[in-house]
Amino acid sequence: MEFISSVITFTLISIISVIGVYILTGLTGMFSLGQASFMAIGAYVSGALVVKTGMPFWMAVIIAIIISVMIGFIVGFPTVRLRRDYISLVTLGFGEAITSLLNQTQSITGGALGFSGIPKRTTLLLALISAIVCIIFASYFKTSKYGRQCIAVKSDELAAKAMGINISRIKMTAFLISVAVTSYSGALYAFYTTYVDPSIFGWKKSAEWAIMVFFGGVNSLTGSIFGTVILTALPEVLRFAAAYRVVFYSILVLLIINFKPSGLFGEYELPVGKIIKLFKGGRKEEKGNAA
Amino acid sequence: MSVQIIINGLALGAVYALIATGFSIIFNVLKFSNFSHGALMTLSAFIGYFVSVGTGLSLFPVILISMLAGGLIDLAGEFVAFRKLTIRNTSSIYYFVSSITLGTLFEGIVTIWVGPNFYNYPRFFKSMVVKFGSLIVSTSDLIMFITSFAILMILMFFIQKTRLGRALRAVSYDRDTASLMGINVYATIQMAFFISGCLAGLAGVFLGINYTLYPQLGNLVVKGFIASVIGGLGSIFGAVVGAILLGLMETLLINFIGSGYAPVFSFLIMLVFLLVRPRGIAGSNVQEKA
Repeated sequence: MEFISSVITFTLISIISVIGVYILTGLTGMFSLGQASFMAIGAYVSGALVVKTGMPFWMAVIIAIIISVMIGFIVGFPTVRLRRDYISLVTLGFGEAITSLLNQTQSITGGALGFSGIPKRTTLLLALISAIVCIIFASYFKTSKYGRQCIAVKSDELAAKAMGINISRIKMTAFLISVAVTSYSGALYAFYTTYVDPSIFGWKKSAEWAIMVFFGGVNSLTGSIFGTVILTALPEVLRFAAAYRVVFYSILVLLIINFKPSGLFGEYELPVGKIIKLFKGGRKEEKGNAA
Repeated sequence: MSVQIIINGLALGAVYALIATGFSIIFNVLKFSNFSHGALMTLSAFIGYFVSVGTGLSLFPVILISMLAGGLIDLAGEFVAFRKLTIRNTSSIYYFVSSITLGTLFEGIVTIWVGPNFYNYPRFFKSMVVKFGSLIVSTSDLIMFITSFAILMILMFFIQKTRLGRALRAVSYDRDTASLMGINVYATIQMAFFISGCLAGLAGVFLGINYTLYPQLGNLVVKGFIASVIGGLGSIFGAVVGAILLGLMETLLINFIGSGYAPVFSFLIMLVFLLVRPRGIAGSNVQEKA
C-alpha cells in the first residue's frame, strides 16, 4: 500500500512537470533541455527556505516559483527572439551550469551529497489536487487566446507573425508558464522525498519529459498525461530491469516516431470533465488491486 | 606558465572544434540539433577502448577504428531514426525527439555493456611530456591539437573543393533543387552522417584520453553545442573559431577560479554572446524558413 501510494504520488508529480513541458513543447514547439533544472531550483529554493529560515511551506513554494520565473526570464530573454534550436541549446548549457552550481555551493545545498532534512509536507491528496488543478489550467490555456497563438507559432512562425502575433512575447509567455509549473512540481518533489541531490536533475530528465509528451501525442493533453502515466508508473513497478528499460523505451519511442508520428493519441482530446472522471476511476481501480 | 595555459586551451579547443563541427554538418544538412552526437562519442570511444585493450594496438589505429565505428553507427542511426522523417519532410521537432531518443538508446547500450564504471585508456605514449626548450607540453595535448587540426583541414578542403563536398553544400542549401540538379540527396545525407560520426569517434577517443571513460562522457558534448552557438549555428568555420575561443577562455578561467564553476562560465559566455551578437561570430543567417 505504502509502495503503491508512493508510485501514484511520483506519477502525479511527473504529470505536473510534463504539463509544464506540454505547454512549452506540445503547444509552442520549443524544447527545453534545462527544464529539470527549473525543477531543481523549485526544489532547492523552497527546501532551503523552509529548513534554514523556518518559513511556512506555502510561502516558500511561492517564493521558489517567483525566483524560478525570474531566472527563466533571464535565460529566455536573449533566446526567444532566435530560431527555436537556440532554446534547446541554451537551456542545455543552463542545466549544466545549474548542476555545477549546486555541486559547488556546499554550504547551502550540501553539494553532491545532496540536501536532506526537508520536512515531509506533500501528501497524495495534495499531489492529486495540484495535478488536477494543473490539468484544468492547461486545458483552459490550450483553448484560450494564448494557447491558440502558441499553436499558430508552432505550426508556422512566419504565418503567425503575419497574422499579427507577437512571436517573442508568446514564446516567452509559454516558457515562463512552463517554468512556473515545473518548479512547482520540483517543490512538491522535494517535500515528498525529503532529500534532493543534483544528479537527478540532469538534461536526461528534461529529455524524458519531452519524450513522454511525444509518446502520448504532441497535440493532445490527454495523450501527454497518459504517456506520463505509462512511462512513469511502469518503470517504478519494473525497477529490477533498470538498464534494459531505457533501451526498451527508446526503441518503443523510435517505433512510434517512425510509424505513428502524431503519437499514441494524435489530436484526440477528452473533455475536461471526463478526464477527471477517468482519472478518479483509474485510481480506484489501482487501489482495489492493492487491497 | 602562461604559454602553457594557452597551449592547453588550444588543445581543448581543438577537441571542442571536432564536436562542434560534427554537430554543425548535420545541422547544415537537415536543419536540426543532433542530440545523439554525445552518446555516439561515448559509444565509439568505448569501442576504441576495448579494441586497444584487446589487441594492444597503438593510438593511431585505435583512432581509426573508433572513427570508422562512429561513422558506421551514425549511418545505422540515420537509417533507424531519421530516414523516414526526411522522406516525409516532417517538421524539425520530430528530428529533435528522434535524436534525443537515439542518444538515450546509445547511452543505454553503453550502460548495459560496460556498467556504470570508470575506465582509463592504456598509456599510449612513452613519455608524458615533450620539451621545446624551456616549454613543457604534455604529449597528449600536442597529439590532440595536431590531429584535430589536420582532420579539420582535410574536412575543409573536402567540403570546399571536391565534387562530393559541393553536393553536400548544395543539399544543405536547398534539398529539392539539389535533387533536380541530379544530386543523390539521400546518399549525400548519409555521407554527412558518416563524416559526423567519424568526428564523434575521434572526439570521443580524445575526451577519453583527456578525462576518464564512463557512460556519461557524452555529456561533454554540451561544450561543442555552446561552441557552435558562439560561432553561429550552421557555420562550420564559425564552429571551429567558437570552439577554440571557448577552449581558451575555459582553460584561463579554470586556472583562475577552479574547474567546478567552468560550466557556469561557459553558459554565461554563451548568454552574453547571444545578447551582443546573436548570429554568432561567423554571422551566418539561420532564420527559420517558412
